Amino acid sequence: MNNHLRTLREGRGWTQGVLADRLGVSRQTVNALETGRYDPALPLAFRIARLFGQPIEAIFIPPEDEVNASAGR
Amino acid sequence: MAARREVTSTLDTLTGGTHTGRMTNKLDRQDRSEGDRARARAYHLEFWPGMAAYAVVLAGVLLWGDLDGGSPWRFLWAVLPVIPALWIVRAVLRHVLRSDDYQRLLMLQGLAGGFAVAMIASVTLAFLEIAGLRIDGTGWLIYGAGMLGWILTGAVAGRR
Repeated sequence: MNNHLRTLREGRGWTQGVLADRLGVSRQTVNALETGRYDPALPLAFRIARLFGQPIEAIFIPPEDEVNASAGR
Repeated sequence: MAARREVTSTLDTLTGGTHTGRMTNKLDRQDRSEGDRARARAYHLEFWPGMAAYAVVLAGVLLWGDLDGGSPWRFLWAVLPVIPALWIVRAVLRHVLRSDDYQRLLMLQGLAGGFAVAMIASVTLAFLEIAGLRIDGTGWLIYGAGMLGWILTGAVAGRR
């Protein structure tokens, strides 16, 4: 799943390490999130949303086929 | 006229270069975070005393255990290194508990790889023995194969 995490992080002037400490995860995890290799579980997604003051859906972009599937229901 | 800004990062592309582009080079650093360092320190503080104790006990067993002798005490000597090995297991488990979900996923993939390799090695050796091949130290061969599988799978999972 794609997301705007890197943009938001850089907008705050934070390194991946700083964001990792603020979220209570490893830098490796932040890197995996930013590159879309790892989709966070809900508790971490909520922590990210709270940290940046935005709703989850404004940060994470669902894959196109899932969007189309829910629109067709 | 505004000076032309150089696009230096994804952020520049998305925001039209409205932030300080030079800063993003520093932000791309791959250093470990404070939390990573604290977790690594805690792990090393628990793991290495166990490893040192294991080495000391193992040396003692090899020196005074007389494992090739006939004394019934040799069986007690033989299992003595398990005690510090349990301490190492405790250190690894506590490290897993300190890790986040993604790191646990990577560890699980590594362990699954190691387990699969160990199982295949044990089945292969068992069939070879049934076929009449005499192999010494099969336990150590399975242990080595499992550890190697764990390390290799963990390394591959971490690089993806």
